[in-house]
Amino acid sequence: MKKFRKISLSLFFVFLLFACTQSEGIDMQKPEIDLTIQEASPLNCNVFYFGETITLHSLLKDNVELGTYSVEIHHNFDHHSHSTDVMNCDLLPKRKAENPFVFIKGYGIPVGQTSHQTATEIELPTGNELGLFDEGDYHFFISLTDKQGWSTQKGISIKIIHKPID
Amino acid sequence: MKLFISLCLLVLTHALYAVQFQVKGIVLDNEGKTVPGAIVSVSTPNLSTLTNIDGFFQLEAPLSNKTLLLTVQHIGYLPYKQTIESTNSDTLVIELSSSNQLLPEVLVSGNGYLLQKQTFVPLTVQSVSDKELRHYLGGSLMQSIERMSGVSAMQIGSGQSKPVIRGLGFNRLVVVENGIKHEGQQWAADHGLEIDQFAVHHIEIVKGPAALGYGAEAIAGVIALTHDSVPKDNGMRATWDMVGKSNNQLLGSSLQLAYRKNRIFFTLRGTLIDYADFRVTTDSVAMYSYKVGLHNKQLRNTAGKEKNLHTSVGYTSSNLTTRFYVSNMSSKTGFFANAHGLEPRRVNEIVHDASDRDILFPYSEVHHLKITNQTEWLKDNFKVQAQLGFQRNFRQEMSAYVSHGYMPAVFPDNMPFSSSLEREFDKYIYTANVRMMYQFASRFSIVAGNQLDYQHNAINGRGFILPAFTKFADGLYALALYTPSSHTTWQGGIRYDYGSIRTTAYADWYKSPTVESASLNEWDYIERASAMYRQFNAFSWSMGYRYSKDILELKWNIGKSFRMPDAKELAANGVNYHQFSYEKGDASLQPEIAYQLDGTIGFATSKWGIQTTPFINYFSNYIYLNPTANHDWLYGNGNQVFEYSQAAVLRYGTELDAHYQLFKPLSVAFTAEMVVARQLSGEKKGYSLPFSPPHSVIFSVQYQPEKWMFFTNPYIGFDWRLVATQTHIVPPEEITQGYNTLDARLGSDFSFLQRTVSLSIQIQNMLNTRYFNHASYYRLINVPEPGTNLIVNLRMFI
Repeated sequence: MKKFRKISLSLFFVFLLFACTQSEGIDMQKPEIDLTIQEASPLNCNVFYFGETITLHSLLKDNVELGTYSVEIHHNFDHHSHSTDVMNCDLLPKRKAENPFVFIKGYGIPVGQTSHQTATEIELPTGNELGLFDEGDYHFFISLTDKQGWSTQKGISIKIIHKPID
Repeated sequence: MKLFISLCLLVLTHALYAVQFQVKGIVLDNEGKTVPGAIVSVSTPNLSTLTNIDGFFQLEAPLSNKTLLLTVQHIGYLPYKQTIESTNSDTLVIELSSSNQLLPEVLVSGNGYLLQKQTFVPLTVQSVSDKELRHYLGGSLMQSIERMSGVSAMQIGSGQSKPVIRGLGFNRLVVVENGIKHEGQQWAADHGLEIDQFAVHHIEIVKGPAALGYGAEAIAGVIALTHDSVPKDNGMRATWDMVGKSNNQLLGSSLQLAYRKNRIFFTLRGTLIDYADFRVTTDSVAMYSYKVGLHNKQLRNTAGKEKNLHTSVGYTSSNLTTRFYVSNMSSKTGFFANAHGLEPRRVNEIVHDASDRDILFPYSEVHHLKITNQTEWLKDNFKVQAQLGFQRNFRQEMSAYVSHGYMPAVFPDNMPFSSSLEREFDKYIYTANVRMMYQFASRFSIVAGNQLDYQHNAINGRGFILPAFTKFADGLYALALYTPSSHTTWQGGIRYDYGSIRTTAYADWYKSPTVESASLNEWDYIERASAMYRQFNAFSWSMGYRYSKDILELKWNIGKSFRMPDAKELAANGVNYHQFSYEKGDASLQPEIAYQLDGTIGFATSKWGIQTTPFINYFSNYIYLNPTANHDWLYGNGNQVFEYSQAAVLRYGTELDAHYQLFKPLSVAFTAEMVVARQLSGEKKGYSLPFSPPHSVIFSVQYQPEKWMFFTNPYIGFDWRLVATQTHIVPPEEITQGYNTLDARLGSDFSFLQRTVSLSIQIQNMLNTRYFNHASYYRLINVPEPGTNLIVNLRMFI
C-alpha cells in the first residue's frame, strides 16, 4: 500500500506537469461586422429596387488584421432563415423561384487593417436574357474573415422589387 | 529436442532444490487441439520450459511460496496467466485463445474495468472482451469503448461515431475486421463506421505506431475487431441479444446461430436496430446565434435504422482453419434537419415533428457488403495466415434540392441523377494479405508479410466534394521478436510501401460565369478537378523493447510511419454542406511522415496496478485543412476557403490508469488521459489541431461479489468523469467548457428456464448534465450531448 501511494503520487505529478503546458500568443478572436454605425446599410426589412444599387455601409473590425469579405444575395422565396438575422419583417407569401437574382462577389481589404469602413456598391440589374428577375424576399449575406482564418457571418432579410411604373 | 531441454531443466532444478513441487499440464487451443512449442514459465524463481509435441509440460519448482504465477505464451495466441497453489498436484488443462494480433498479449481478467492490459510486445495494446463490451454498451461500437484511456469517439449522432486514438482519427488510424481493413468513406466527419457491434466478439486496440503490420495509415493506432469465434462443441447453439435505450427509444435485437459438426462449422447472425430522434438537454440550440426550437428536446430528424446480416462457414483441423465471412450492413440515418445545407433552412417543423421515428430529408443511406476469407495453416512452429477480401461501400446522401451559387433555380429534368441526390459514393475494395510467422526454439520469432489493396471510388449527385479515383497500395514488411529471457523482449521491423492514386476530371453540371466582370456574359461548366496520377513510396521502421520483472512492466517503442495523401486532400474542390466552407485540395501534397516514441511504465500486483503510457509524436508535414482569409466568390457561394496544406506538428501526451482492490469484492480505479498538439510551422504556427480531445479523468468504483442470491457474477459500478475546458482550438472552433458526468452500471448472470441469461444495465449521464463534447460533429452548431440514457441489454443462450 505504501509503495502504491508513493508510485501513484509521483505518476500523478508527472501527469499534471504534462497537462499544464499552455499555448501562448496566438489570435483567438473572431472579426466583427458592425451594422450599428450611422448610415449602416442594408438593414433588416429594407426594400430595394431592381435597376438601382445597394450600398453596403458597415464597419469591419478585427483585433489583429482583417482578411477579406464577401457578399452574396440569393432569394428567400422558400422562407429559409439565416442564423444571424432576426426574422421579424413580414415575408411575402411563399413562391417558386423562376428567374431569381443571384449575386456573389468577394472583396479585398487593404493589408494591415484592424478596422475598415465599407461603401461597397452593388448594382441590381432589372433582368437577364431570360427576362425580368423575380421580385420578393431576398437574403443579403455577408461573410468576413481575419488573416488567421477566423470568420463571422451576417445574414440580412431584404426585399428587392421592381420599381412601380408611375 | 524440446523434450530433451525440458528434461535437462527438470534434472537441473531437481539437483538444486531439495523441497520441490511439480507443476504439470497440457496446453490446448480453443478448438481443443494441443499446442506444441508454447513457452511455460513460473515466477519466483524464474523457470520456464516448452510444451512437447503433445502439448504437455512439466516444471519443478522449489517450495518457497504458497502460490506461483504460471504464464503460457505462444505466437498467435493470447498469453495466459494463472496463479496456482503449491499444493495443487493435478494436471492443469490450459486453454489458449487465438489472437488476431500480430504478436502475443496478456489478458488480465477479472476486475471489470476497461483498463490497460499487459502485453508481451513493446506496443501499448488494450483488449476488450465481449463481456466487457456489453457492460459498457453504447449507441455505437466506438461509444462503447470510449471509456478506455486514450480512446475517444467523434460523435455524429446517437447511432454513429468515429474512432479517435490520442486525438487522431479519420485516415490516420486503421479499423480491421476479421483481419481485413474496413474501408468506407472515412475521410469525412459525418460518416460513421459501418460495423455491427453485436457481431464483434473481441476488440484489440493498439495505441501508437502500428503501421508496420497493419498498413501505412495506422499512424495513431489500430482497432482490430474479431467476430464470433469458432463454436467449441458439436451441435447447434443460439444466442439472442436484446437491447433497449431510453434516450432515443432504441430497440435492437440480434440473433446468432452457430453450428458445428466435427471439423465443419457455420454461423449466422441477423441484427435489427431502430431508433427515434435523440434527446438533448435543451429546448433550443443557438446555431451561429440563430435560435432553433427543439420539439420535446429532440434533435429533429436524427432517427435511424440498421439491418445487418452476417454468415460464416468454415473448416478446422489440427493444422488448418479456414473461414469465409459474408456480411451486409444497411443503415439509414437522418441528419439534424436544421443543420444541413448552407444555411439553417427554415424546416417544415409540422412535418418533421409529427413523428420522431420517421426519417425525412436530409438523410444518408449506406450499404456495406463484405466477403472475406481468413485461412490459417499451422505446422510445428510455422504459421501462415492469409486474408482475402472484397468490400463494396455504397453511400447516398439525400436532401431536397436547393440552388446554391449558380445552380439553376429549377432543377432540369434531363439530369442523370435525381434532384434530391446530394452526393453518392460507390467504393469497391479488393484486399489480399499474407503473413508468415516462424518461432525458433531459441525464443526468436520472425514475421513477414505482404498487404495488397486496390480501390475504385465512383461519385454521383449534384454536389461535388472529391473526384472519382482509383487507388493501389502494396506494403511488404518483416519483423523480428527476440526474447532472451522471460523478462525481456526486443522487437524490430521494417516495411516498404508503394502506392498510386489516379483521379478523374470533374466538371460542374451547370454553368457559372468564368470572368469576374459583372456583365455575366461568359458562362461555362467549370472544371473543379483535373485528372491526376501520383505515385508514392517509402520505407518505414519500428523498434521496441519490453522489460518485465516482479511488479514492474517497462516498455518503449519508436517508429517511423508514412501515409500517402488521399483523394480528398489532393483534389477536393467544393462546398462542405455542414459548415460555411469551401474546401480545396492541393495536388502537390507530399506524403505525411511521422515519428513516434511511446512507452509504458507500470506496476501491478494481484491487489493493485498503476500504469502510465506517455508518447511523443512529430510530423514533419501533417496534412491539415487550413482556414484561409479568402472567400470563394466565383465557384460557389461566397464561402470561406479552406485549403489543404502541410505543417510540422508536435503532439505529446499520456494516459494514466490505476486500480486498487480495497477488499475482496470492492475495487476503485482511476483513469486519466491528456494529449496536446502544436503546429510548429505554416500559417497556423502556434495553434493546435482541430477536434483535440480535452484532458479528462474518470474515478470509478465497482462492487463485484462472486455470487449474490441466485445471481452469478453480479456487479455494480459507478463512473465519475471530469473533463477539462478545451482552450486549444483552431478556427472555426470555439472554446468548450469543462464538465463532469456520472454513469452507473450493474448486471449479472442468472438462470431462467434452465438457460443462462446475462443482464447488463447502464445509466449514462445520471444527473442529466448539459455539456458539450469538443470532439462532436455537432459542436460547431452548439448542440449539447444527450441527456440521461438508460440502456438495458439482455443476452440469452438458447
